[in-house]
Amino acid sequence: MIADLLTRLRVLMSRRRWQQELDDEIRFHLEQEEAARLRAGADPSTARREARLAFGGVDRYQEETLDASGVRPLSDLAGDIRFALRALRLNPGFAATAVLVLSLAIGAATAVFSVVQHVLLAELPYPNPSRLVRVYQQDSPSNIWSLSVVDVQAILEQQKTLDAFGAVRWSAAALAGAGRPEQIPVARATSGFFRALGQTVATGRLIETGDEPVGTPPVALVSSAFAAERLGGARAAVGRSITLDGVSHTIVGVLSAGVEELAGVRAAVWPVLQMGTPDRRGPFGLRGVGRLRPGISLEDAARDLAGISQRIYPIWEAGFKNRVARLTPYPLRDTMVGSARHQLQLFAGAVVLVLLVAIANVATLLLVRLSARAHELSVRATLGASRARLARLVLTESLVLTVASAGIGLGLAGLGLELVGLIAPNLPRAREITLGGQGILIALGLGFISGVLVSLSPIAAVLGRNLAAMRAEARRSGGARWANVVRGALVATEFALAVPLLLAAALLGNSLLRLQRVNPGYEAGSNFAVWLSLPETRYPDSTAVETFWERAVQRALETPGVVAAGLATSPPPDNQGDVNNFNLVAHPVPEGGAEPVSPWSFVTPGFFSALKIPLLDGRMFTDADSSGAPPVVLVSRSWAEHYFPEENVIGQQLVEGGCYQCPLTTVVGVVGDVKYQGLTGNGEGVYAPLPQQGPRTAALFVRTQTAPESSIQPVLDQLRRLDPELPLSGVTMTEQLRRALADPSRWTAVLSGFAAAALSLAAMGIFGLMSYVVRRQRREIGVRMALGAEPLDVMRMVVIRGMRCVGVGTGVGLGLVMLEGRWLASLLYGVTPHDPTTIVAVTGLLLMAALLACLLPGIRAARIRPSEAIAED
Amino acid sequence: MAAEPVDLLPGTLELLVLKALSLQPMHGWGIGQRIDQLSRDVFKVQQGSLYPALQRMLRKGWIRSEWRTTDNGRRARYYALTPKGQRQLQAETEVWQRTAAAVNSILRVRMVEP
Repeated sequence: MIADLLTRLRVLMSRRRWQQELDDEIRFHLEQEEAARLRAGADPSTARREARLAFGGVDRYQEETLDASGVRPLSDLAGDIRFALRALRLNPGFAATAVLVLSLAIGAATAVFSVVQHVLLAELPYPNPSRLVRVYQQDSPSNIWSLSVVDVQAILEQQKTLDAFGAVRWSAAALAGAGRPEQIPVARATSGFFRALGQTVATGRLIETGDEPVGTPPVALVSSAFAAERLGGARAAVGRSITLDGVSHTIVGVLSAGVEELAGVRAAVWPVLQMGTPDRRGPFGLRGVGRLRPGISLEDAARDLAGISQRIYPIWEAGFKNRVARLTPYPLRDTMVGSARHQLQLFAGAVVLVLLVAIANVATLLLVRLSARAHELSVRATLGASRARLARLVLTESLVLTVASAGIGLGLAGLGLELVGLIAPNLPRAREITLGGQGILIALGLGFISGVLVSLSPIAAVLGRNLAAMRAEARRSGGARWANVVRGALVATEFALAVPLLLAAALLGNSLLRLQRVNPGYEAGSNFAVWLSLPETRYPDSTAVETFWERAVQRALETPGVVAAGLATSPPPDNQGDVNNFNLVAHPVPEGGAEPVSPWSFVTPGFFSALKIPLLDGRMFTDADSSGAPPVVLVSRSWAEHYFPEENVIGQQLVEGGCYQCPLTTVVGVVGDVKYQGLTGNGEGVYAPLPQQGPRTAALFVRTQTAPESSIQPVLDQLRRLDPELPLSGVTMTEQLRRALADPSRWTAVLSGFAAAALSLAAMGIFGLMSYVVRRQRREIGVRMALGAEPLDVMRMVVIRGMRCVGVGTGVGLGLVMLEGRWLASLLYGVTPHDPTTIVAVTGLLLMAALLACLLPGIRAARIRPSEAIAED
Repeated sequence: MAAEPVDLLPGTLELLVLKALSLQPMHGWGIGQRIDQLSRDVFKVQQGSLYPALQRMLRKGWIRSEWRTTDNGRRARYYALTPKGQRQLQAETEVWQRTAAAVNSILRVRMVEP
């Protein structure tokens, strides 16, 4: 076996030397034989002849020896590749175009498929990932939410189907004791969370059950990167203290290197989550993550958890009337992919279309080249090359092209993945994505597939036709008919594939425009917001908190240039902050049914003036609406129209947050709609006076006379004078609005790029085809013009012929879109996938581009001088 | 006059080459001569057919080759048996002898008239 390989390899590596040695050996043999016969008395010429006769055919045995060496298939392939390279070198323009087109397409496809593979298909990077579940509260197929302390504690006490279960809550915290004070994301988690995910530490220990009771000294884990950057390495980090929101935490362990995200939660610091004894069923804000016991199915766990829901319902019924809500497990991976699935599928679809267009384009180029080589091929056929051999030649040539393109594409894909990070920063698990072996396989696979696809029609041409006939046809001015039909079909395919891409890009662009025109419900342009979070250590009670809020607003207003300032816990347009359930006294929900919910923001009156949100009816909050006063709320116009379409909303009362013992809340006014759930969301919202809730975290909104950027720093300085240790940063409302549009903008940009590529390729295709036709028919056109055809007639003829092909393709493409357009719907806003205006505009654009591409060859045809054209050849 | 030479049975050439090389390393022509000698010109072997056979045996690892100088100062490729070739020769010889014995015993049976 090894001897076999070595022998073959030796022959293959130094084929020339091997041949030389065989020649020498045979010559030596013949000389020996001849000498022997001379010694036996034969005369010289007879001796030589008989020696050769005894040997048999020298050529024949040389060939047989080569066969016996077992390298012939390989050496033939090497020969084919050498030949293909030579042929491509002779035509560098063609080779460069084809490689450029294909490598870009393969590069894009490799990048996108790598992302799809990692995000949609790959297992999570935890031990036994298929057994990981996330547990939600669920009361209908579409309504799921997270867990409360009651839920988590009940699951920990009663569950029988999980090996480990834990909870995590993501939040921002003011960090001190590690570099400059800063607001950082932290994820508070219980010991079971790390156990469920099978985490280990680089140094120190994990959070343990003993750290969880309220009152034990708080501990925290940090990521390896955080330890290295801020704490002087993993060893130095363990045992150190950091302060989070004023509370000192001892670092007990450093997570394994590279762990920056667990179960979709990104954080550098992981403090222990200490859950006290709850006094009501809510609030819900914890992510529950568990690991199924071996052999336990998702259904078993669902039954187990549903049982827990039923057992704990009566205990908290007073404040939580949702009898049908069940604790429900979902595979963790599914919950992490979430909405990215749809966008990625769109992305992958687009990239496949572009790749197909590119393949059709290169196939056209190859066919044109093949016609030009009809002569050469027919000579080869005459000299005894079989059709299979010719087909193999064509295939090798295409594969050399496409595999080279795949290699370049792989490099481009590496760059492309960097781009993915920019395009989709919120993509789950984006940091895990690398090109790696899988990327190489994908690129090579795509290279081979496109090589085969590209050469299908040329091979069909070689196999299906009598080459002599092909040559004769090629000589006639029209070019071979079969080739024209296939080329036309390929170009039509390019247009058919470009239609859905262009349409998708146009529809996304259209919805983006509409999104930009959406009224967010407030005036952005001369205002900004500052996030403030007050630690319990320095602001131990509601008085301290309330005092700080009052002073903060006051200081802001004293800053020169500031005209209005106020606080709110929900910054529009895409952070709804708290959500609260309520029950209308006038229209209560049926016993046991789910109560309606709404974004619930705690504000001071200055918030409305800072954002210029109009008061439409009733009254604004006053100083009288303080913490002890009867609870009051303002509602948005949409909220009022939704819940009280027929009646006056002012004075209506509701039960807030399931607290049936609390005093009823009264609606005192109606304000304009503000978008809190993204720009596509509705404008429903409820506002309660900030002093009645006393939150520790809120945003200060400030409106200025001049450009807001110049006032941010003075206001921050004022706030620092109140508390120098608070981490502070400001963002303008314009910037906030831009961020809300960032995702749709990026998707539109990317898809437009794909669509532009497809359109250019298609236009290139029709341009190439018509130029070729004009070149072939030069003589015929000359004759026509000599017989009296006007240049304009000639031009029209060329353009009409090209546009017929384009028309067929576009028609087929539109048909495809009509059949299947729903996949786009969920990404669109304000337009349907079959929006007639967009379809007409896209078709128009496509036809215009095609017309331009046909016009140039048409003009060239019209300029043909009959006398020259006829005399040529 | 000698009997008409016969064609080799398939596969026999390799066995003969192995046998020839078991005596000493030889070049291609020498192998041919040795086979003629040993078989007393019974077999009709075209000398050229040795070379594809040698190539096949190289690949199977039964023999190895090296360039050496002959007694009269010419460079020639010499072939020698490898240990694997040695074993192959033994095995094939056994098979051959068993086959030959079986065929012979069949041929020796006298047909009895019914």
